[in-house]
Amino acid sequence: MNVRSQIAMVFHLDKCIGCHTCSIACKNIWTDREGAEYMWWNNVETKPGTGFPTRWEDQDTYRGGWEVKEGKLRLRSANKGYVLGKIFHNPAQPSIDEYYEPWTYRYQDLFNAPEGSDQPIARPVSKITGKEIAIEAGPNWDDDLGGSPVYAENDPNLDSLSEEQREQLFAIERLVMFYFPRICNHCLNPSCVAACPSGAIYKRGEDGIVLIDQTRCRGWRACVSACPYKKVFFNWKTGKSEKCLLCFPRLETGQAPACFHSCVGRIRYLGVLLYDADRIEEVALSSDENLIEAHRSMILDPHDPQVIRQAQSNGVHDSVIESAQKSPVYQFVKVWKMALPPHIEFRTLPMLFYVPPMSPVMSMRKGDVLTQSDQGLFHEIDNARVPMQYLAKLFGAGHDAKVRYALKKQMAIRSYRRAVTVGDIEPHIADQMLREADCTPAEAEAIYKLTSLCTFEERFVIPPMHREEALEMMEDPMDHKRETGFGVMDKPMRGS
Amino acid sequence: MAAYRQMGTGWTGLGVWIALLGMGIIGPGAAWGQDAATDFRNNCMSCHTIGGGRLVGPDLKGVTDRQDRQWILKFITDPKAMIDSGDPEAQKLLKESGGVVMPTLPLGKARIEALIDLLESESKLPRSKFAGQVVSDRPLGPADVAAGEKIFTGRQALTAGGAACYSCHSVEGVGGLGGGSLGPDLTKVFERLGGRKGLTAWLGSPATPTMQAAFGTHPLEQNEIESLVAYFQAQTQFAETPKPRQIFLGLGLAGACFALWGLNSLWKRRLGGVRRAMVQKAAIKG
Repeated sequence: MNVRSQIAMVFHLDKCIGCHTCSIACKNIWTDREGAEYMWWNNVETKPGTGFPTRWEDQDTYRGGWEVKEGKLRLRSANKGYVLGKIFHNPAQPSIDEYYEPWTYRYQDLFNAPEGSDQPIARPVSKITGKEIAIEAGPNWDDDLGGSPVYAENDPNLDSLSEEQREQLFAIERLVMFYFPRICNHCLNPSCVAACPSGAIYKRGEDGIVLIDQTRCRGWRACVSACPYKKVFFNWKTGKSEKCLLCFPRLETGQAPACFHSCVGRIRYLGVLLYDADRIEEVALSSDENLIEAHRSMILDPHDPQVIRQAQSNGVHDSVIESAQKSPVYQFVKVWKMALPPHIEFRTLPMLFYVPPMSPVMSMRKGDVLTQSDQGLFHEIDNARVPMQYLAKLFGAGHDAKVRYALKKQMAIRSYRRAVTVGDIEPHIADQMLREADCTPAEAEAIYKLTSLCTFEERFVIPPMHREEALEMMEDPMDHKRETGFGVMDKPMRGS
Repeated sequence: MAAYRQMGTGWTGLGVWIALLGMGIIGPGAAWGQDAATDFRNNCMSCHTIGGGRLVGPDLKGVTDRQDRQWILKFITDPKAMIDSGDPEAQKLLKESGGVVMPTLPLGKARIEALIDLLESESKLPRSKFAGQVVSDRPLGPADVAAGEKIFTGRQALTAGGAACYSCHSVEGVGGLGGGSLGPDLTKVFERLGGRKGLTAWLGSPATPTMQAAFGTHPLEQNEIESLVAYFQAQTQFAETPKPRQIFLGLGLAGACFALWGLNSLWKRRLGGVRRAMVQKAAIKG
């Protein structure tokens, strides 16, 4: 057993209101620079939808993640022959059009336009070329448009649905969308790290944050192809790749990452998980059906004395272990089994988990009137607006058992709380639902509390980062005395 | 680190070899003879005999009696200049040799003087050792022609490792795009170099600087020469037509265009993108 610590995350999709505050917080801090305008290290997608970049989940096009070949893990994006053949033009990566061409408006025109019979307007101009552009698409172009015939209909996850189901999905009575906020998953088996020819990407030992060394990056963009979540971006100004760094400078000073901190719906949870690093390859090789269970099983119980001993001998600080014991992520993922990794079939073992969303109330057509479903507020999960197969494709590698379990538990807790607070559901029915959902009243209360009444400290259990023990501190700080500070020691050749 | 140092030594070694080659200590420079007899063997014997009759050039027996010594010296030093100057004797020689101009030999004045001395002394002997080899008069048949073709085109490697004729020369009968165009066309070489006897002698020790550099250390075997002579004799039936170089340029351009077209159709979706294609498809669907 090789116990390591990892800062992991849970996004509770049932709570997301799709306000994009997280994206804006991130953009203001990190990507509001030339060359990075198009990047959204945090983005919020409307699902069903094609996402950002367009159809990123379609690995036949982008060749991200791992595949099992002859019993071994292989990068989809890089075998030697393929890389050599495509060394001057790698088609397996998104062009700027797949992201979007970032733009602004020429606001000065509003003030400087010569007097005329028309109102002056601010024309859109590209932030890349500076020229006027016709805006065709954006990072979430069909935001809030559940039934869009272009973006929603081309969602790769809809492939698992039958023609009839697809038609139903876009029928007016059950039109649906939900929000899917995404950041870098800081995976346990990151394909971006494996694909980098320069060895510039690394996973920090102490907390598992995946970072790109800007002085070693040579702009091969192998990581852009290899990341199945398309969360590594190429900065065209500096010629280097960049990605979400989980706001590590904030974490190191005890603050939650900006997107977590600013989340209006309080959907985000962050905490330490202890895991067994020796099992990474074995877990990633599991069959699609067993992937989630295997992934869960490598997350270790931070209360187990043996795990604690092994962690200590591996250099995990006591305060980090203590933090892991309070981790809300551990509760959601391992104890309650409600949070699921996105597209685990890409086999990178993401460390960002999602609580799948419940669907809005079902409606039905009665004559010319659209009315509520007969089943009341909480209808059966199989009759939900979002088809089970769709969620299974997104969060269950195509198998619905784990998704069904998570949804059933949420549903039971809703009924249970309804019975407690409103009383229009008989207590014995609520109890029966809890039992069927593998849940006790105590657990239901705990889940309810962490879901609805959680404080800042309960959502973000940030471990002390112990920078005093980190490698950089081995260097003599006096080396830089009388210089301008630590800063960037080797400036990139171009850009700033 | 050790590996780097070793590599460094390797490069230094190579440098020494290049320097030695440059100074002419090693390599083909040494092929030039040290005395008059060797000089004659290397430079003259392919076209001349002393008392053995005419090859491409005239028999040199008694040449010092026929010509003034100064004239001979001037002629050997630069035959082309002599011919161009309109010297009547030189013009006559040119006519006799069927238009083949004697190559300018890179010998100094002293060595040419020594050669003339040699001519003088050898002419006085009843039978000079430079009377020329006896060329067999075995009739050459189609088998020899076939063998010669194999050697010419390089399908049969030369025993001493010389390059195939085809790499620099062409003949009319070789077909296809012909051979190389670096050396002269050899279709009429049999007639030009004085038939079987002349050509055999010439191939035995080629005198032109280019051929000497290429074959000086890889001489042809006697049976190879015989086959080649047979092949060249057979070639004389064709008329020599100059091959326009534009054919190669045209073929190259056409080939490049075809290759680009092929690659373009193979990767025609490379610039199509995902979103744009998707939107277009939806627009068509309506």
